[in-house]
Amino acid sequence: MRMRSSQDFTAGLLLLAFGLAGLWIGADYPMGTAPRPGTGVLPHILSWCLVATGVLLWLKAALAGSPPLTAWAWRPAIMVTLATVAFALLVDRLGLVVAMIVSMTLTALGTPDTRWREYLVFALLMLGLGVGLFIYGLGMPIPALPTGYAWN
Amino acid sequence: MRRREFLALAGAALAAPFAGKASAQVQNWPDKPVKLILPYAPGGGTDLIGRPWAEKLSHSLGQQFIIENRGGAGGMIGTEAAAKAAPDGYTFLLTPNATLSVLPSLRKTPYDPKSFLPVGRVGDFVTGFSMHPAVGPKTFKEMIEYAKVNPGKLSYGSAGLGTATHLRIEMLKYRAGIDILHVPYRGSADALNDHLPNTVQMMNEINTIPHVKAGKLLLLNINNAARHPDFPDVPTLTECGYANSDVPIWYSLFAPAGTAKAIVAKLNAKIIEIANSEEMRDRMRSINTVVPTQTPEEMVAYLEEDTARNVELIKATNMKLE
Amino acid sequence: MELGGLLANLGLGFSVAVSLQNLLWCLAGAVIGTCIGVLPGIGPVATMALLLPVTYLLPAEGALIMLAGIYYGAQYGGSTTAILVNLPGESSSVVTTLDGYQMARQGRAGPALAIAALGSFFAGCVATIAIALAAPPLTRLAQQFTPPDYFSLMTLGLVFAIVLARGSVLKAFGMVFLGMLLGLIGTDVNTGNLRYTFGISDLFDGIGFVPLAMGVFGIAEIIANLTNSERAELASSKVSGLMPTREDMRRSIAPILRGTVLGGLLGILPGGGAILASFSAYTLEKKFSRTPEKFGTGMIEGVAAPESANNAAAQTSFIPMLTLGIPSNAVMAMMIGGMMIHGIVPGPQVMEQRPGLFWGMIVSMWFGNLMLIVLNLPLIGIWVRLLLVPYRLLAIAILFFCCIGVYSLNNSANEVLMIAVFGLFGYLLMKLDFEPAPLLLGFLLGPMMEVYMRRTMLLSRGDPWVFLQRPLSLCFLLLAALLLVFVVLPNVRKARQAAFQE
Repeated sequence: MRMRSSQDFTAGLLLLAFGLAGLWIGADYPMGTAPRPGTGVLPHILSWCLVATGVLLWLKAALAGSPPLTAWAWRPAIMVTLATVAFALLVDRLGLVVAMIVSMTLTALGTPDTRWREYLVFALLMLGLGVGLFIYGLGMPIPALPTGYAWN
Repeated sequence: MRRREFLALAGAALAAPFAGKASAQVQNWPDKPVKLILPYAPGGGTDLIGRPWAEKLSHSLGQQFIIENRGGAGGMIGTEAAAKAAPDGYTFLLTPNATLSVLPSLRKTPYDPKSFLPVGRVGDFVTGFSMHPAVGPKTFKEMIEYAKVNPGKLSYGSAGLGTATHLRIEMLKYRAGIDILHVPYRGSADALNDHLPNTVQMMNEINTIPHVKAGKLLLLNINNAARHPDFPDVPTLTECGYANSDVPIWYSLFAPAGTAKAIVAKLNAKIIEIANSEEMRDRMRSINTVVPTQTPEEMVAYLEEDTARNVELIKATNMKLE
Repeated sequence: MELGGLLANLGLGFSVAVSLQNLLWCLAGAVIGTCIGVLPGIGPVATMALLLPVTYLLPAEGALIMLAGIYYGAQYGGSTTAILVNLPGESSSVVTTLDGYQMARQGRAGPALAIAALGSFFAGCVATIAIALAAPPLTRLAQQFTPPDYFSLMTLGLVFAIVLARGSVLKAFGMVFLGMLLGLIGTDVNTGNLRYTFGISDLFDGIGFVPLAMGVFGIAEIIANLTNSERAELASSKVSGLMPTREDMRRSIAPILRGTVLGGLLGILPGGGAILASFSAYTLEKKFSRTPEKFGTGMIEGVAAPESANNAAAQTSFIPMLTLGIPSNAVMAMMIGGMMIHGIVPGPQVMEQRPGLFWGMIVSMWFGNLMLIVLNLPLIGIWVRLLLVPYRLLAIAILFFCCIGVYSLNNSANEVLMIAVFGLFGYLLMKLDFEPAPLLLGFLLGPMMEVYMRRTMLLSRGDPWVFLQRPLSLCFLLLAALLLVFVVLPNVRKARQAAFQE
C-alpha cells in the first residue's frame, strides 16, 4: 500500500513503538502516592503521549498523505557506525594508534570519493595530531601502542 | 635438629629475602604518586576536606597525593573502585562514613564495607539543626515543642535519600517522637537554595553556618559532642537532653583489603601528626570541621558503633530508599 | 548602591584584576577554556577539576580568576564546533547549530562565528555591569522562585523547544516526549529504582548528554553528508567573506539586546535557569521575526540571540555563588571548591570580608571577555579555512574528534559505543524528517521537571493546585498554554482542510 512507505507513517510507527515499549517495560514501576509521586509517573505519562503522537501522525499520513521515504544510504551508515564501534573496541585493548588507523580507514571506505594516496598522507597527519595532542599534550591515560610493545 | 625446628629455620631462610623486600617497600613508601579516590563529583563536601589534606600529605610525605573524583550512585561507584584497587599502598579511599556505615544498610552494595582497612580520620563536620527565623521557634526546645503541637508542619531539607543529613532528621524524629516532613534534595547547595527563602524550614549542613553568622538563619544546636567555637551559646544535642542521638558525619581515609599494615600505620601516624598541627586545625576550623585523631584499631570500633546505630535507626523507622 | 560607592568598588576591583599576574591567569584560563570548548567532549568541569591542584599554588584571587576564565572560555569555544560542524559541545550550544550550521553550509561560517563572538562579548559586558550594580537585588529576585515556579518555567521551556522546530509541530512534540523519556533512563534519584536500564551498568547514571548530542547531531550529519556528494559540498564549501556584512550587524543588534536581557535574567536562577537561556532567546527571536519560517535556514538572528543569551546567563550564574554561596551548576561548585581551598568560606559575608576578591573577580570577568574576543576573532580565519578541507577528509577528522572527545569524558569506551548507536538513530530521525534539537532539549528538561514536580508535591503535601496558586507559576503555565495554542491552531486548521479535501 502506498501509505506504508510514507514518511509520516513510519515516523508515527517509531513513536508508537517507543511509547508502547515504554509502557510495557515500565509497567511495574511504582506510581507512589500524591505527595510522593513514584518512579513510574512520568514514564507512564510520556509513554502515553508518545503513543498518542504516533497515532496522530498516522492519521495525518492517512488523511493528508506524506512524501515517501527516500532511499537509505547503507554504505556510509554502516561504515561510519563500524568505524565508531571499532574505535571503541580497540582503543583500550590495542592503543590509540591502532584504533585510529582502523576507524579512519573504515570511514574512508564509507566515503564515496576517497582518494587513497591522499588519504594515506592525511591519515599520517591525523595520527601525529592525535597522539601528539591527546597523549602528549593533554596527558590522557590512553596507551598509544598495543601493550606489550615498549614505547617509552 | 628436630623436624619442626628445621622447617622453621628453612621457612625463615626462604622468607628472609622477601621480608627484607617488604620492609624496604614500607620504608620507601611512598615512592610514586598516591591516588585518593573520592566517590563524589567534584565541588562537594568531600572535596572541601579532601583537597587541603591531599596538599598537606603531599608536602609532608614528599610524593603527590592526587584526588580522583569518581562520583555516581550516591558514592557506590567510587567506593567499589577503591575496593577493587590493588592493595599496594598507592590507592586509598577518602570518604564520609555514609558509604560504609549507612549505604550498605539501605541497599545492596557491590563492596563489603568491612573489607576496608581504616587508615585515619581527616575531619568531622561541626554543625547542627538550622531554622529559618520566620517560622517562630528560636531555640531547640521551642522547635521540639512546635513540632509536637504541629505534627508534619515543619519541613527539613537533606542532601539526599540515605545521606547522613537524612538520617539526622530521622534520628531526631525517632528520639523526640515528633513528625517533620523530610524533603530530599540533590546535595546540600540545592537544599540551601530552598532553605533561605523558607521553602523548607530546617536543615543540618555546614553550608548554613555563614548564613547563620550573617543573621539570615538560626542555629538551634550542635550535633557534635563539643560546642562550636564560633557559637559558644549554642547547646549540643547532649546538653539538650538527647544523648547518643547524633548521626556523625566523619571523613576518613581507608585502604583496600590486603594493604600492608605497616603502610597503614605509617600513614596513620602522619595523619595524626598533621591533624594536631596548628595550621591544619585553623584551616579545618574555617570550614567548620574538627579533626579527632584515632588509631586504625579505634577506627574499626568506631565504624562498627556507627553502623550499629544506623542499622538500629533504619530498622526502627522502617526507612527505605523510597 | 550610589555611584561613588560603585566607583570605589570598581576601583578596588581594577587594582586587583589589573596586576600582571592576575591578567596572566585570566589569559591562561581564557585560552585553556577556549581550547576545551572547541574540542568536543572534554568540558570545563573536568578541566577545572584537573587544574584545581595547580590553583593551590596561586593566591586566591588568581586561582578564581583563572577558573572563571576557563568557564567562559569554554562557552565561547563551544559555539565554534556547533557552527562549523554541527557538533554542540555543551547544552548551551544546541540551539546555535540550528541556524549557525546552516550559515556555515552557505559559506557564511565567518559571519556566524563573528556575530556569535561579538554578541557574547556584549552580553558579557552587560552582565558584568549588572552583577556590579545589582547583585543583591537580583539575588533576592531569584529567591522568589519556589519549586512550582521552576516546574512551570521548565514547562514553558519545553513549549519553546516545540516552537523552535522548523518542520512539523506534531513531530516536534514527538521528539520532545521521546527526549524526556530518554532523559529518565537510569537511576531514579529519589528512590534508587532503576528505569529502562536493562541491567547495563553504564546506564545506571543515565545517558550522557555529550554522547547523545555527538551521535544525534554529529555522527548523523556525517552519515548524511557522505551519502550525497552535493550535501557534502556544502559542508565544506566556499567561504564567502570572513566578516559580517553591514546588513548582518544591523539585523543582529536587537536579537543581541533581547538575548542578553533574557539570558541575564535566567542565569540568576540557581535551580537551572541558564539551560533555558539559549533556546528561550531563540524562540523569542522567532516570535518577533517577520519571517519566522526562515528560522533554521541560516538566519543570523538565530545565532546572535542564543549566543548572547547563554553568555549573559553564564556570567550572571556567578551571582548566587558570590552572594549566597549557592552554586548554580557543577562549574560554580568547582569555584566554591577553589574558594574553600584558599580558606574562603563562600556566603553572604564574602562581599564584605573580602571585597578585593569579590570586585576583583567581577572586573576580571570583563577582562576575560575582552581577552576572549581578542583571541577568538582572528581565530575565525583559521577555523573557516579548516572548512575548506574536502569533506571526504574532514569527515574522518570529525569522526575521530567525536570519538576521542567522548572517550576522554570518563575514559569509557562504552560511551563511544553509545555514539555509534545514537548516530544511527540520529540518521533514522533525519530520514523521517524529525528534528534533533527538540529531542535534546526534552532530554535536558525532562529529568529536571520531574525533580521539581516531585518536590512541589512533597512540599504541598500532595496538593496539585499549588501550581496554579503561586503567581509566577501560574504566569508561566498560562504563557506556555497560549504559546501552545498559537502553534497548534494553524496545524489543526490545516489538518481539517486536508481532511475535507479527501
